This record gives sequence, C-alpha cells and structure tokens, in this order.
Amino acid sequence: MNLTEVADTVEDSGALRIHIINATENQLQRISSQLKLGLNPTEMKTVQAYFTKQGRNPTDLELQTVGQTWSEHCFHKVFKGTIHTPEGKIRSLLKTYISRVTRELNPPWCISVFEDNAGIIEFNKDYAIAAKVETHNHPSAIEPFGGAATGVGGVIRDVLGVWADPIACTDVLGFGPLDFNHENLPPGVKHPMYLFRGVTAGIGCYGNNMGIPTVNGAIYFDESYVGNVVVYCGCIGFLPKTKYAQNAQKGDILLLAGGRTGRDGIHGVTFASTELTKESEEASRPAVQIANPIEEEKLKRAIIRIRDRSLGSGITDLGGGGLSSAIGEMARRFRCGAHIRLDAVPLRQRGLAPWEIYISESQERMLLLIPPENAKAVLEVFDEEDVEATPIGELTEDGKLKIVSKGVEVANLDITFLFAPPPVERIATYDESQHEDATPPESHDLEKSLVRLLASSDIASREAVVRTYDHEVQGHTVLKPLHGEFGGPNDAAVIKPLDESWRGLVISCGMNPQYGKVATYRMATSAVDEAIRNNTAVGGRRIALLDNFTWGNPEKPDRLGSLVQACKGCYDSAKNFMTPFISGKDSLYNESPLGPITPTLLITAIGIIPDIRNAISLDLKVPGNPVYIVGQTFRELGGSQYFRLKGIRGGSVPEVRFPQAKDIMDTIVEAIDRRLVVACHDISEGGLAVAAAEMAFSGRGGLSLDLKDVPREKTVNRNDLLLFSESNSRLLVEVPEKHAKEFESIVTDVPHASIGRVLKDDNFLVKGLQGRPLVTADTRELLARWNMGSEGGR
Amino acid sequence: MQHWKARVEISLKPGHVDPEGETTCQSLRDLTYPVKSVAVSKIYTITLEAEAQADAESQIKEICQRLLANPTKDDFTYQVAEAK
Amino acid sequence: MNRDEIRVCILRVAGTNCDRETKTALQDVGMTAEVVHFKQLSTKENLMEYDMLVVPGGFSHGDYVRAGAIWGKKLMATMGKDIRRFMDEGRPILGICNGFQVLIEAGLLPQSQGVSRFPEAALASNSPSGYNCRWVYLRLETANTSIFTKRILKRTLRIPVAHAEGRFLFEGKKADRQLEELINNRQLVFRYCHEDGEYADGKYPINPNGSLYDIAGICSPCGTVFGLMPHPERAYFGWQSPNWTMETGKEPAPYGDGGLLFESAAEYLEKKF
Repeated sequence: MNLTEVADTVEDSGALRIHIINATENQLQRISSQLKLGLNPTEMKTVQAYFTKQGRNPTDLELQTVGQTWSEHCFHKVFKGTIHTPEGKIRSLLKTYISRVTRELNPPWCISVFEDNAGIIEFNKDYAIAAKVETHNHPSAIEPFGGAATGVGGVIRDVLGVWADPIACTDVLGFGPLDFNHENLPPGVKHPMYLFRGVTAGIGCYGNNMGIPTVNGAIYFDESYVGNVVVYCGCIGFLPKTKYAQNAQKGDILLLAGGRTGRDGIHGVTFASTELTKESEEASRPAVQIANPIEEEKLKRAIIRIRDRSLGSGITDLGGGGLSSAIGEMARRFRCGAHIRLDAVPLRQRGLAPWEIYISESQERMLLLIPPENAKAVLEVFDEEDVEATPIGELTEDGKLKIVSKGVEVANLDITFLFAPPPVERIATYDESQHEDATPPESHDLEKSLVRLLASSDIASREAVVRTYDHEVQGHTVLKPLHGEFGGPNDAAVIKPLDESWRGLVISCGMNPQYGKVATYRMATSAVDEAIRNNTAVGGRRIALLDNFTWGNPEKPDRLGSLVQACKGCYDSAKNFMTPFISGKDSLYNESPLGPITPTLLITAIGIIPDIRNAISLDLKVPGNPVYIVGQTFRELGGSQYFRLKGIRGGSVPEVRFPQAKDIMDTIVEAIDRRLVVACHDISEGGLAVAAAEMAFSGRGGLSLDLKDVPREKTVNRNDLLLFSESNSRLLVEVPEKHAKEFESIVTDVPHASIGRVLKDDNFLVKGLQGRPLVTADTRELLARWNMGSEGGR
Repeated sequence: MQHWKARVEISLKPGHVDPEGETTCQSLRDLTYPVKSVAVSKIYTITLEAEAQADAESQIKEICQRLLANPTKDDFTYQVAEAK
Repeated sequence: MNRDEIRVCILRVAGTNCDRETKTALQDVGMTAEVVHFKQLSTKENLMEYDMLVVPGGFSHGDYVRAGAIWGKKLMATMGKDIRRFMDEGRPILGICNGFQVLIEAGLLPQSQGVSRFPEAALASNSPSGYNCRWVYLRLETANTSIFTKRILKRTLRIPVAHAEGRFLFEGKKADRQLEELINNRQLVFRYCHEDGEYADGKYPINPNGSLYDIAGICSPCGTVFGLMPHPERAYFGWQSPNWTMETGKEPAPYGDGGLLFESAAEYLEKKF
C-alpha cells in the first residue's frame, strides 16, 4: 500500500488527511505500521469509530497524536490495563499494588504522588523534596553517550517540571560482561565495553555540565544485559512548598521555552515500546536525541526565577511524545482544551511536517503555563537568561485540542477521547518450578573466595566511574559515594540542602538482578529491604520509595507473570515497612536476539535525617570497639554472589521476614539517634564477609570476627554459608565500648550478637564456627583487590 | 562580499602530552590492533564573508590566534576556499 | 572598610554552576556577595561598584573550544578596560576552577609582563585523561605575594578538585624560563602534595591532573589576581570534608580549610580600603 492511495493534502497546511473511515481492518493495520503509529487493531478500530462519529477523516497529525498518547511509554497500558492471572483478574497493577501502598498508608507528608512529573514529599515545614527516576534503556542501546546524557537531561526536566531545583542525581546501570566475546555479538548489538564507556561518559557529561552532583548509584553486570543495556537516571529536586503551582485555567498562555524543535527524537516513544531487533539501529536513528546540557542549565535558571516570583500557573517537561504529550497532559490536568498555533514553534531546520513538529522529542524544552498578565515579566526573565521562549497557544474551555498550521485547522480532537484508549487485557502465567537447594559441597578456602568476591564485577570498587562524576558541586554533599581516606563504599548519600538547617535528606537504592533470575517476588521484597537498609545504615528514616521496572515483552504471559509477582512483592514489603511509593517508571519490551532481559527492579529510597552531624559512615573507627551483627542469617543463597562465583543457578532467594525486618530498621535508627553507633554497613552482595571487609578496609584499622555467635537458622551449619549468605535485614554496627550495654538494651528484641572487635593494626581475621581461623588477611591487601576490580572498566 | 569556507585544524604542539590520544591508543591496543600512536585534533568548518581570499585568510588566522588555539599548547593550520 | 560593606561580585554566564556555594562561603565570612550575570555587568551594572570579583567554577559556554576560552576572550573584549582599572586599584580577582581557566585564557594570569593578548600558559586536558572529582592536599608556597593566603598558618590544605582540564603548563621551549620567573616573582601559590606536605612530584593521583611542577594555583606578581583549580568553597564547612565522620563522638569541625582563602581576602580589603 502506498500512502498516497489513502491520503490527500489538507489545503496548504502541510498536513495529510488519512482516509480511515472506510478502511478495512487490514488497511487500518497497514496505516498504523506505515505511519509508525504503534497502534494495534483494537486501537485503530477505536480511532476509526471516533472519526466516523465526527463524520470526517483524521489528519496525519491527529493520528500521530493518538499514537503517541496511547503508547506504552506515555500511557503505561500494561500497568493500567487488566491482567488475567492464575489467581484471578487484576484491574490495574499500579492501583492494585504500587499506588495502593501510598493510598492505604496515606502519610500526611506526601504532597503529590503518581500524578505529576515527579513525586513530591515534605522536607520540613517550608520545603519539599521532588524525586523521579527514569529509564533510558532503548536509546542508550543504540547510542550510549547521547542516550544516557538525554536520560539524565530528561529526568532533570521532570524535576524542573514540578518547579523544583535539581540538587542531586543518581544512576544505576546494567551492562553485559565487559570481556564479552566480540564474535558472539548478534548483528546490531554493541559491545558491552563500548556501551559502558559511552553511557558513563554521557551521564557524567550532563550532570557535571549542569552542576548537579551525581551522588548515588550502582553498576551491575549480567549476560542478559548484552542485548539490552539498563540505564536508570534519577534526580532529586528541592522547592519551597508554597511555590508548587499547578493551577492553570482557561486563558493561560502555553509558553514553549528552551531549545529549538528539530527532527531528532521522532517516534522515540513508539521505539521504546517495541523490541530491539537488528534493524533497530538504522530504523531508530531519528529517535536518538542530542544533548545540550548548557541549554538546560540556562532553562533551569530561568524556571527557578519564574518560580520564585510565582509568575507561572503550570509547568511540564517535553519528554516522550514531545508537544503532543505535554499539551495533552496539561489540558487534561486543568480540565481545559488547548488551541495551538504550530507556526509559532521555533524550528531548528526547515521542511518539518506539522506532525513532526508536534511529536518531535528535541531535548531541553519545557512547556509553561502563564497567566496573560504575567507574560511580559516571564518573557523578560527568559530573555535575560538567553533562553528562547515563545507563546504557542492557550488553554480554552471547550475541552478540545485544536491545532492550526499555516492558517488551516489540522487537528480538532476531544481531550477526553485522547485519554480513553481501549482497555488492554493481557494474560499472565506464573513460573511454578520449584527451586531446589542447590548448595555446593562445602568450600574450605574461604579467604580465596572472599578475595575473588571483592574483585568480582558486581562488588568491586566503582571508583573509576564515580570520580568522573562531580559529586561535590553545590557544596552540600555530606556523605559521599566514596568515603574517607580509602574511598569506601557508603550505603547512601546524605545531602544538606539548606544553609540554615542541619536537616538532611538521604538517598539510597536497592537492586539485585541475580534474584530476578530465580524469583521476582523475592527480588522485589529484597530490593525494597536493601534500599531501606542502606538508608537506615546512615541514619535515614521516614522513607519514600520509587520503583523502576525493566522487563521483557509483557505480551508474553511468562514475562507478565513475573512482573505481577514483583509488583505484589513491592506492595507486601512497602506496606509492612510503611514506606509509600511516590513515583515510578517502567521500561518494557527489553528483548533482543539474545533473549529477554533479566527482570530488573530498581527501588530508590529517599529518607530524612534530622541532623546531618549524626550521619553514620561505614568505616571502622576506634580500635577496641565491639562490632555487632543485627538480623538473622538463613540458608538462602539462591542468586547470591557466592553461588554465582561457584557457577550455581537456582536455590532459594532471600526472603524478607515481617514484622522483624521493620523492627530491625527502627531499632537501628533509635540506636543512631541515641548516638550509640559510630559505623554501620548493610550486608548485601557477598554477605557478611564482604560487608565486614568493606568496613575494615575503609577505615584505618582492622577487624577480628568470630562466627560462633552470629544469630542463624539451624541449617546454616557451614562457615561458607554463614559468611556469604545474603539474607535480608542484616547490618553490621560498630558501637563505642562505653555504649555497648545501652546498645544491647535497645536491640534486645531483634536478633543480634557482638561478633568482633576493631583492631589497631591492619589485620582482617575471621574465626569459624569450630573456632578455627578461616581468614587471615591484610585490610590494605583486601582494599587493593577491591580496587583492582574497578580497573576492569577503564 | 563573497562567501568563503575555511577548514581549521587545531592540534597539540609536538612534545605536549596528549592524554586523550594516549588513552585511545591504549584502548585500541587492548582490542589487539597494532596501533603505534593516536593524536587527537579538532576541526572547525567556518563559513565567512570577505572581499578576497587574502582577506578571508587573514581573518581566519586572527580567529585561530584569538580564540581557537592557545599558543602555549596548540598549533593551527587552515585552508580557505570559495564557498559554493 | 567594615567587612559587611565589602561587596563581592560573583560573575556568571551560561554554564556557570558553582556560584551558589561560592556565595554561601563569602557571605559566611561576612562580606556581601552578589551573583551577577555577565550580561548585566557588561550593560546595566558597573564593575567598579564592587570591591572584589570572583569568577566561579562551572562549564562557561559549555567549555566549547577550550575550557574557559570563550568567556576569557569575551571578558576582555567587552569589559577589558574596567577589568584593568579594577586590578590597578588593587581590587582582588579570584578565579576558581573554570574561573582559573578563564583568567588564563583572558591573559590575566600569570601576567609576567602585564596583561597578555594571548594566553601565556594553558590548563590542558588532564593526564591521565578524563574528569576527576577527588580531595587533594595543597602545599602553600610561603614565598608568595597572594593576598588570598595571609591567614593560612599551616603548611597544607585539604580541598577537592573536579575538572577535566586542569593540567597547568607553559610552552615547551620557554617552560623552564617561565617557571623560574613564576617562582622568582613569588607567583607560585599552591602545589599538589601528599598529606605530610611532601610534593606530589607528578605522581597520580596526588597530583590529580599531571600539572607541571605540581602547580595548583598561581597569582599575579602583585598578588591580587589569583587562580586555582581546587574548589575552596566546597571545603568551607567542616561537614563537607570527606572524612569528618572519622572524628568519632565529636561533631564535625565548624570549618574546613577553604574558608581561609576568603578570610584572607576579607582582611586585605578591610585594611586596604
């Protein structure tokens, strides 16, 4: 089918009218694919019915607008649709599990959740924190530098899109093994090393250039990331509560500000909602966006000035779907229509069709709503900051999206229609296979295992990457990603956002794709536990969570089933920890010729610390101090780094046990507040052995440990299991000798034991269950091994 | 006034360390290519108005001296031709 | 003049991004600091109303061409006359990180023969290459004329660097002579060193960027123009230090080492004007 057979021009507007009213189902589908609308047969028929009722055929711009608005990327059909599971029907994953936590807990400190560009929570009585984490997997797989940089740029704009000043960035990444054999790469898939370098450079470039510290993150390596790279970019913002203005009304001006509009990024959202194939590279080149952080820096300055003078009535960023999605969302939000003059949009190049202008995803653009009486003042601010800003239309009361190009109407759609796609129904199946105890025979050279784990890809130091990110700019980073003399791995970042207050915010994350390979419910509960544990370890509390899912094709029932179970895990654990979800984002369809991606859930935790002077770092402090373990160790090494080292798949993934898990976190916070803790570190990948080694080599002294008293389930009857189990809700705590009694009185209701002492010299000694020495190492040597792993990436 | 097109190359003066070049060189060797050395330079394509070739060339020279090159570490070369 | 009467102009252009924390530090020292857009200063406002000028860190104009190059040339082209007068009257100019790069590119440092039309030195790409954010030790060269160091009574300071282009160098053939001149003129202010004060001697990461002679900061012959790659404003408060938690049982020290530079400038201005 040639497009000219079903289209004619709409006067001199540059738009085409597409004849769909009389089209057959077959023709409809061909129109959808030829125009790259990404609409399925049901959706095309819904569109056809709508226009039949209007008595006219749609323009290409109207069809593209529908395609963008209904895309998975913009509308989250999977999370909002109906799913048939073996346990019955779920009407919306989002409402049934994720946002339900928040609804049920209903904390008074949640200001705006799941409705705006970023979640907003209270910081203190005058200020609020905004937080958002984005996925940018697909663009980064095609062009790693630009994909990652625009991922950061996009999430910063999300935060600007709630009038918040960005104060910190985070990044969590997943790559294939860096030594992956070139010959085994399928056509179109780029080598992990190339992706690694490009992505990390892109992230550093954007954050550094904009002067936003990148303070927290993680990098994981997994075979399933060869075909699908994982790029999560987060941004935390800060705003005075009274300056959060989303109250636009009819007559307010739609002002497009920032970079000019070009052909870049067209169909980015439909591209993100499909699987990558070997043709993806060529086909999606136009979907690659070009980053210009300095433009966004100027934009930020202007927006914050406009905010501080309360000149705007609404704001949103231009991300996926470009103008089409930003304008539609704004009109719906303020229960208005919108009239747009497309000719007013400043263009970077000539020859763009109206629909291209309307859905282009050119970067560094924001849409502001301005009451007419403030327009002059706002335009002056933009002018002073050398940012182009152009009124392109206004909100109206007719509930219609009307767009004019060259004096001709090229769109006239009901906003309500635009936001009522036909419901999606999908089928999910559960993986019922039993995971047997896959425990290998007992290993006795545990020192060697420890050393190998410290240098292994998921545990080794990230210094080579972290130092390329500015984590100090803005001068408010209290606990840094690399701590102290030896650059130890702190559990969370602490930020002091106000000059006049000691109150701080705590940023941490939790993720473990190895668990996702085995059981996604437990992966989810573990990720929530880990994020909260990391936050708790430095003194964070009153925690809010963000969820990011990276999954395979949800149209395949097994992938959807594992997603449902992960969502359930999110609900169960967050509800029990009493930590609401405030924002989230998903990236589905991560499949490549090498197969689906390992289900990968990132949980980001944002906590509060009342006084940053009481923040706790991981490094051991004073020789002679006792070191306690809090929490119990179970025989659950499925997905553990130890099993991975031994080449074992399967086994039981760590569970999170309530109510104990929450009691442990609360207890640690109480001990920190009573100033009984001088060092604290969470136990995660690599278990007790790795956590203890990290504490030891991050400080100036050493550590001796005795495993005999470690609280454990009976079946943990071997030294290797005890050292390397990754059971959740466990932390190591250094307590000043003089406070030991008081500390014990606080932890009395949760499993705990004094298991070691800080040493003056550099020894790292572990005595086993039978009283024999298991590890006799030098902390400087362990540090060197941990640092050596870091060289792999550079 | 005629339009002229200049191709300007800014490169490091001999003897100066070129960390980007060295790092790239090492990476290529790591990928087993028999690379001896890598030098990084920057190319600008500039279109400008001038009465005559000589005039265009002298402006380009000044542009190089004034902004595009730092004489402490950079060399520059340029070719100017009529823009089509 | 009283300290609170001292007006400091923190200049910014597109891409400047360390202005806020620089202002916080200067205000805390007791001076009155304002962040002023370059456009404003070159049109509406007057540089001569200020007592000190700070060119803060960031990526001015994206650091395209070379770090600091575009702003350096613009600065001299649009307000060179004011800058010269400002300097001649002994009013201090401080360039931090990107600001140091700007001062070098503007020909305001090292000024061995007065303001130069072309840069006399360069802050080249780091060696090893790439952006590097880390805390370093700086050794104060006691025989220096800088007015920014008079309050520093110890030998070494701990301050972070964060840059990709900070390798100080002179032109190959002339380097030895220029370096000698820098030392003889007492323009050498800070050199990268070990914790105990021993010079880095080019060793990475003690010298984080491969700078010639471990140079981290230099001043003009008269000492009022000063540029350095490390960020004193990020080492102003005690809690900004990377290991303040080492001091167990104690709260972080109220101040870090960076404030000494601003304190020195304030004292100089109090006395001079």
